[in-house]
Amino acid sequence: MTTEGTHAARAGSLQGRLARLGFVDAARAVRLLSDPGLVGLDDAAVDDLGLAPDPDLALTTLSRIAETRARGADAFVAALDSDVVVRERAYAVLGTSAALGDHLVRHPEDWVVLRSDPDSDERPVAFASPESVRADLLRAVGADPAASGPSAGDAGAATYAALRSAYRRRLLAIAAADIADGATFIDVSAALSDLADATLEAALAIARAEHPADAAAVRLAVLALGKCGGHELNYISDVDVLFVAEPADGVDEADALRSATRLAQALMRACIAPTSEGTIWEVDPNLRPEGKNGALVRTLASYEGYYRRWASTWEFQALLKTRPAAGDLELGQAFVDLVTPLVWSAADRPNFVEDVQAMRRRVEDNVPAKDADRQLKLGRGGLRDVEFSVQLLQLVHGRSDVMLHSATTMRALESLATWGYVGRDDASALATSYAFLRTLEHRIQVHRLRRTHVIPDGEDDLRRIARSMGYRTHPVVELTDALRRHRLEVRRLHEKLFYRPLLNAVARLDAGEARLTPEAARQRLEALGYTDPAGALHHLEALTSGVTRRAAIQRTLLPVMLGWFASAPDPDAGLLAFRRMSDALGSSPWYLRLLRDESLAAQRLATVLASSRYASDLLMRAPEAVAMLADDDELTPRSREALVVEALAAARRYDDPDVGVAAVRALRRRELFRTSVAELLRLSEVDECGVALSGIAAATIVGALELAQLAVESERGSSLPTRFLVVAMGRFGGGELGFASDADVLFVHDPLPDADERDAHEAALAVAGELRRLLMIPTPDPALEVDASLRPEGRNGPLVRTLGSYAAYYERWSSAWESQALLRAEPVAGDEELGRRFVELIDPMRYPVGGIPETDVREIRRLKARMEAERLPRGADPGLHTKLGRGGLSDVEWVAQLLTLQHGHEVPGLRTTRTLPALVAAVDAGLLDPDDADNLAAAWRIATRVRDAVMLVKGKAGDMVPTDTRDLAAVSLVLGYRPGESGVLLDDYRRVTRRARGVVERVFYA
Amino acid sequence: MDKQTEFVLRTIEERDIRFVRLWFTDVLGMLKSVAIAPAELEGAFAEGIGFDGSAIEGFARVSESDMLAKPDPSTFQVLPWRGETPGTGRMFCDILMPDGSPSYADPRHVLKRALAKAADLGFSFYTHPEIEFFLLEHGTKRGESPTPIDEVGYFDHSPHGQGYDFRRQAITMLEAMGISVEFSHHEGAPGQQEIDLRYADALTTADNIMTFRLVMKEVALEQGVYASFMPKPFADHPGSGMHTHLSLFEGDRNAFHEPGADYQLSKVGRSFIAGLLAHAPEITAVTNQWVNSYKRLGGGGEAPAYVCWGHNNRSALVRIPMYKPSKGNATRVEFRSIDTAANPYLAFAVMLAAGLKGIEGGYELPPGAEDDVWSLTESERRALGIAPLPTSLGQAITVMERSELVAETLGEHVFDFFLRNKRAEWQEYRRQVTPFELTRYLPVL
Repeated sequence: MTTEGTHAARAGSLQGRLARLGFVDAARAVRLLSDPGLVGLDDAAVDDLGLAPDPDLALTTLSRIAETRARGADAFVAALDSDVVVRERAYAVLGTSAALGDHLVRHPEDWVVLRSDPDSDERPVAFASPESVRADLLRAVGADPAASGPSAGDAGAATYAALRSAYRRRLLAIAAADIADGATFIDVSAALSDLADATLEAALAIARAEHPADAAAVRLAVLALGKCGGHELNYISDVDVLFVAEPADGVDEADALRSATRLAQALMRACIAPTSEGTIWEVDPNLRPEGKNGALVRTLASYEGYYRRWASTWEFQALLKTRPAAGDLELGQAFVDLVTPLVWSAADRPNFVEDVQAMRRRVEDNVPAKDADRQLKLGRGGLRDVEFSVQLLQLVHGRSDVMLHSATTMRALESLATWGYVGRDDASALATSYAFLRTLEHRIQVHRLRRTHVIPDGEDDLRRIARSMGYRTHPVVELTDALRRHRLEVRRLHEKLFYRPLLNAVARLDAGEARLTPEAARQRLEALGYTDPAGALHHLEALTSGVTRRAAIQRTLLPVMLGWFASAPDPDAGLLAFRRMSDALGSSPWYLRLLRDESLAAQRLATVLASSRYASDLLMRAPEAVAMLADDDELTPRSREALVVEALAAARRYDDPDVGVAAVRALRRRELFRTSVAELLRLSEVDECGVALSGIAAATIVGALELAQLAVESERGSSLPTRFLVVAMGRFGGGELGFASDADVLFVHDPLPDADERDAHEAALAVAGELRRLLMIPTPDPALEVDASLRPEGRNGPLVRTLGSYAAYYERWSSAWESQALLRAEPVAGDEELGRRFVELIDPMRYPVGGIPETDVREIRRLKARMEAERLPRGADPGLHTKLGRGGLSDVEWVAQLLTLQHGHEVPGLRTTRTLPALVAAVDAGLLDPDDADNLAAAWRIATRVRDAVMLVKGKAGDMVPTDTRDLAAVSLVLGYRPGESGVLLDDYRRVTRRARGVVERVFYA
Repeated sequence: MDKQTEFVLRTIEERDIRFVRLWFTDVLGMLKSVAIAPAELEGAFAEGIGFDGSAIEGFARVSESDMLAKPDPSTFQVLPWRGETPGTGRMFCDILMPDGSPSYADPRHVLKRALAKAADLGFSFYTHPEIEFFLLEHGTKRGESPTPIDEVGYFDHSPHGQGYDFRRQAITMLEAMGISVEFSHHEGAPGQQEIDLRYADALTTADNIMTFRLVMKEVALEQGVYASFMPKPFADHPGSGMHTHLSLFEGDRNAFHEPGADYQLSKVGRSFIAGLLAHAPEITAVTNQWVNSYKRLGGGGEAPAYVCWGHNNRSALVRIPMYKPSKGNATRVEFRSIDTAANPYLAFAVMLAAGLKGIEGGYELPPGAEDDVWSLTESERRALGIAPLPTSLGQAITVMERSELVAETLGEHVFDFFLRNKRAEWQEYRRQVTPFELTRYLPVL
C-alpha cells in the first residue's frame, strides 16, 4: 500500500513537472517515461525534453525507439543521458519531424549521426564534403566510389531500400544541424542539394547495375535545374533534371540514346519507387525541350539545335540554374558551357518583354483562393515571385554584366546589390525575409517530409513550428507577427527590385556608391513595358531631383507608381501626365499628403493617367480634382438635383455672365472627371454613367440659362417679356448621354399675357443665342455643344417657338418621325410651369390613344431600314458600328420606341424617355419576351460601354469598335478584359449584338 | 519548337529545296499559298510571315493591321510534282494577329478551337472521308456542259482506262506526301472517281483534304484531263459527296463502342448521332456551302435529303456501318450530306460541335429508319418524324442565321462573314435565267 502510495505521489509530482515543462498530455508522458527502456533517463534528460519543439511528439517517438529493444536503441538512450549534444539534437529533431522519428524507430543505430565526432571529419556530418556524401551513398548501394561509372551491387528491392535509408540517415544529420544547431538556411539548403546530387549518383549506379550493357554504350550526365540546380533545395521538392548523353566510342548514336533513355528511366525509378523504406522524391525531367512530349535524353548537338532555334524565354530562365549533378560531370559541364551564352542573350530575343509579362501574370495569378493567406510559394510576394523577380533582373542585366551570373537566389540578390542593380538596404531586407520564409517552409515540410507550401492552421502544428524556430514565449503569436512583418517586406518586392533602382540611376549619389547605369536603366524600362525609356528616364530625373519636400516624396512614391503605370495600357503616357501634374500641383500641401500616404488615391491616379487620355486632359485643366480620388464616396456621381443647386449658386455669384459661366463650366469639368474615373475604375454601372452625364449637362444648362436670361434682361434694361424653357431631346432626354455626345435640345417660350408677340420672340431668340454663346466661349474647360436640329422643320425652322406655335405645328404637320423624337423629350431648364404645359401638349402625340396607326408603324420601319442602308459610313463594318450597326444602339432604341408609340397610352411604364426602363415595362406588360429584352439590354450596354471606353482611352469620339490592335487592347483593358483578351472582346461584341439584331428583326420589323 | 521543325530544316538542306510554299485556307475553303525562300523559314517559324489579309475572303476587317502566317512544321511535305531538284516544299500555316494571338478568321483555328473543346471533355475526334470527284475532258468552255472522260460505272475496271492510270498516279503522289489511301475505285457516274483516305485526327484530315484537291488537279493536268470537285456537274448522274466517317476516342478507347449494345453503339455514340441529327439543318450551309450543293442533295439516290439515321441505310443522313466483331475501335458513324467542295475545317468543326452538343445535352436517339426514305410519301415521312434538310442554299442560310451552335463554333467573325458571303451568292444565283427556263418557257410563253 505504502509503496504504491509513494509511487503514485511521485508520479503525481512527475506529472506536474512534465506539465510545467510543456507537455500537453502529461499523464500520457508519465506512462511513456515508465517504459523500461526509458525509466533510466536522468532528470536533466527528462527536463530537456521540455525544450523540444513538440515535447509530446518527441517523447512518443522516443518511447517507440526504446520499445524496439534494439542494441542501437539502448546505446541511444544511454547517449541521451551522457552526451548533451546528442540529447539536444535528438530532441530537436524528434520534436519537429515525425517522419525522421519513424526512420529512427526503424534504424535506431542511425542515432550516431547526431554525435559530434571531431575525429571522423573536420566538418559535422550534416555538412560533410560533397565527395564524402557521394561516397557514402554509393557505398550504401554496393558501388565503388572510386570507380569511373560506379555500378551498384544489384538493382533489387534491398538495394532500393538501402539507398533510401542511407538518404534518410544523412537527412537526419542535416535536420539536426538545421533545427538544433541553428545552421543558416543557406547552408541547410546547400547540404540538401549535395545530398540530392549524391542520391542521383547512387540511383544512377543502381540503373547501371540494372542495365550493364547500356551503361557501357553511353556517357550519361545528369544536370540539375531549378532549386537543386541553384544549390538551394527544400527538404522535399521535385528535383528538376535534364539528361545529356553522348555515345561511347564506336556506338551508333541512336542505339546510345536508347541505352541512355533506359538508364535515365531506371534512375528515376530508383528514386521514386515505393519500398518498405518509402520513397525519396520525384525526379522531374519535364523542363526538357518539348516537355513531356520530348525525348527524355538528347545529345549535346541536339540540345544545341533546340535551344538555338526553338526554346522560349521561360526555358532560358530555367537553364539559368543548370549545374552538372551526377554521372559524367565532364559532359555535364560541356552542356553548361553550351547553354550559358544562350541564357545570357535571352533578353535580346524578340518577344522577351511580352514573354516576361505573361510569365509574371502566371506567377501572380496562380493562387488557389482558399489557401491564399497561408500560401508561402504562389501568388504576389510568394517565394516563387521572389525567385522569379531575381531571375528576371539577372536575365535583363546579366547579358552585359557577368557578375550577376549566379544560380542561387540569395547570392544573385547579393551581387545585384553589390553592383548597384538593386538598393543595398532593400536587398538585405529582402534577403532576410526570403530566408525567414524559406526556413518556415523547411520546418513545415520536415514534419512529415511532405511537399507542401501551405502554412498549417492547427494550433499544435503552429506551436511546434514556432518553437522549432526559436519563438518560445508566445510561440504562435510571435511566429504570426514575424510572418506578417516579413510578408509585408516581400510584398513590396517589385517596387524594391525593379523600380527603386531606376531612381538611383538618375539621382545624385555619393561618389563610389554603385548604381544602375543609364544603359542598364534603359534595358530595365524596356523589359517592364515602357516604349520610350529615354523619355521615361528624363521624366524620372525631373520628378526626383532637388531637395524639395515634393522631390523627396516623389522619390518614395515613384517606384510604386512605375509599377502601376506598367500594368495599364500606356505606361509612357502615364508617366508624362504624372510629371505634368506634379509641375502644376507640386507644392500644394494636400497633394503631397495624398501622395505621401501612397494611398488608394495614388494607385487610382496612376491607373487613370496611364489608361485615359480623356480623364488626363480634364485633370490637366484643373489638377486639384485629383483630391477626389482618395475617397469612394467622392467618386459616386452626384445627383442632378444637387448639381442644379450648385450650378445656380455658382452662376448667381457673378455679375459678368462670362465669368459666371466659367464657374458653371468648371463645375461641369469637375463632374465629368468624377464620372470618367468612376467608369474607368468600374465603380459605376453603365446606365448610371449615362444618367450622371445627362445630369451634368442639365445642371450646366440650368446655370448658363440663368446667366443668359440675366444678360438679355440687363441689355434690354427690363425684365423678359416671355417665359423660356429648354427641353432635352434624344439621348440627353433619355438620361443616356455618353462622354462623346452632344446635347440635343428644343427651345420653347411663352410670351407673358400682356407682352408684344414680336418683342417676346426677339427676347427669346436672344436668350437662346446667349445661352449657346456662353456654353461655347473659350475657357479652360470643355465646351458643351447644344444641338437644336431636332426642332420642327429641322435646321430650316425657327430656333425658338412659342408653345402655341408648337401646338399649331404639331396639329398640322406632325409626322410619325416627330412623334418618335418627342418620346425622348424632357424639360431640363427654364420655366417649370411651361415645362408641364409642354409635356401636356406632346403627350397625346407621343402616346396616342389606341397606339399610332399602322401606316405610321410602316413608315417608322421604312425610315429605320433606309437609315441602316444610308447612314452607315462607307466601308464601315456594320457588325462593329456601335450606333448604327447591326444590334447597335439605334436598333435597341427603336424597338423600345416603337413599342412605346404603339402601347404607351395603355402601359404607363412605357411612358419614359429611357430605353432600358421602357424594355422592362414592355416585358411586364407582356409585349416583349424576357429573353428578347435581356438580349437587347445586353447589346445596348456593351455598345454604350464601348463608345464610352473609346472616348476615355483616345480622348476622341469614335463610333466603331476599334480595329487597330493597340487601341483595341487599351479599350478592352478599360472594359475589364485581361491583357491579351482583346479578341474575346470582339467576339463578345459580335455575339451580343447579333442576338439583339435577331430580336430586332422579329420584334421591330415583323 | 520540336523535332519536326529540326526535321524540316534538315530536309530542306538535304533535298535542296529552293522554295517553300506556305499554305492556308480562306473562309470559303480555297487554298491560298505564299512562297518563301528557305532562308526566311526560321523567321517564319519564330514570328510568322506578314501579309495583307484584306484581299483574302473572310480575312478582312479582323484588324486593320497586317496578319501573320506561321507554318506548322508537322505538316511539312515535299511537293512531288515539281520535279525533284531543285524541289519545292509546303507547310500549312496558322494565321495570327500582329500580337501573336490566333486570328478569329482562320478556319484552321476554328477547327482547333472545336477540337480543344472536345479535348476538354476528354475526347479526340477522328475522321475518314470518302472523296468523290469527276474527271472531265480538258477544255470545256465556260458555261458549257462538260464531257466525262469515260462511260463506265461503279467498280468497273478497264485495263488501260484513263481513270485507272489517273488513280494509280494520284495515289502514288498522295502516298509520297504522306497521305494514306484506304481505297479507290470508279464511282457510279461516268468519269466519277472515289478515293478514300485513311482515318486520322480531324485537323490532319482537313489538311489532307486541302492537299488532296490540289494533287488531283495537278495529276489531271499532267494527264491532259480536268478534275472537278463540283458537287453536281451532271443533272442526270449522281453528284460527288464526301461521306465522312466520324469517331471519338477517349485516350486509346473508341468512345462510340460498347460491346453488346445495339449496333455496339455506346450511349456517347447514340447521343452524338442524336446531336448530329438535331442540328443537321443548321450546319448544312457549312457542310454544303454552294448553290450547286443542293442540286446533289435534291437529286435522290444515295444523297441524303432527310434527317434520319439507319443501319446500312444508304438513303439516311447518318449511317452506322456494318460492325466487324474484331474491330471494336472501328465503331463509327458515317455522315453523308457533306460534299467535297465544303471547307473541311469549318465543316468538321460544326459536325463535331453538333455531336458534342448531343453528348452534353444527353440527347435521346430517335428510332432509326430502315426504309429508303426517298420512296416514302411526304405524309409517311411526317408520320415517322423525318424532317427534310434545307432544299436550297437560301433555306440553309436562313436556318443557320438563327443557330447559336454554329455561331459559337465558327466564332462571330467567321459566322458573320460566311452568312454575308453566302447571302450574296444566293442573291446572285436567283438573278439567273437558266437553260431550263429558256427551253421550257420560251417556246410556249
